[in-house]
Amino acid sequence: MKTSTRELPGTTIVDVSGDIDMSVSPGFRRILMESLSKTPRLAVNLSNVRYVDSSGIASLVEVLQAARKAEKRLVLFGLNAPVQEVLQLTRLAKIFEIRKTEKEAIEAS
Amino acid sequence: MSCDKPSTPEPLATPDVSGPLRFQMRIPSDPRLLAVVRCTVSELAAIRGFADDQCQSIALAVDEAHSNIIRHAYKDRFDQEIEIGFRAEGDYLEFTLVDHGEPIDRSKYCGQPLDGIALGGRGTHLIRQIMDEVCYERTSEENRLRLRKYLAAGTSKG
Repeated sequence: MKTSTRELPGTTIVDVSGDIDMSVSPGFRRILMESLSKTPRLAVNLSNVRYVDSSGIASLVEVLQAARKAEKRLVLFGLNAPVQEVLQLTRLAKIFEIRKTEKEAIEAS
Repeated sequence: MSCDKPSTPEPLATPDVSGPLRFQMRIPSDPRLLAVVRCTVSELAAIRGFADDQCQSIALAVDEAHSNIIRHAYKDRFDQEIEIGFRAEGDYLEFTLVDHGEPIDRSKYCGQPLDGIALGGRGTHLIRQIMDEVCYERTSEENRLRLRKYLAAGTSKG
């Protein structure tokens, strides 16, 4: 898994690529938490994520909980079919704010 | 000088793609090998005739079981042994994961309702959603988890 971060006015975007499984999910969580601490809105680009397991989803849930507690926003975008399927199967698709594109994620009101 | 005319090579025998197939691997409980196992599982499912999306789902289910062994049975020790067996016969494939770690709470594999956004239990929930049969047993000092998926559509889940 690889990540990179971009700063936009009012939004930080974390671009993620590769697989998110138990071997990398702690680092994934840490990176998102660090980014969230510095921005009012965190957008996570998952368009290049090929695979995510329940530990990756759990990391996203933890970041979402932290965002809600801090009254910040977490937006996921670019979800492909395997990632969508895992969210559906774990019944967590509806708790996240999800957009198709970066533009929609940034402009989401 | 004369040269022998080369003979036409005999075509190689090819296995019956729908015939029985077995595969086994013994690996350390190193999380870096999760991706290797996923690739292997996905390829084995494809050999057996499952569609691409099903191969991905089966790989996810086995990956979740594999991760559970590392995290719960072996308490994040990365130097223990995991045995993963594969068997394809008839209209199904089956993965068996064996470890020598702590016994697992059997109820974890019996299906629990998911509670809001609680973090626990989603891995085993995924396994039960994807696979048609999930059987766990504890024998002497082994945990043995068998995951079966039927090829035919419409098979009811266990």
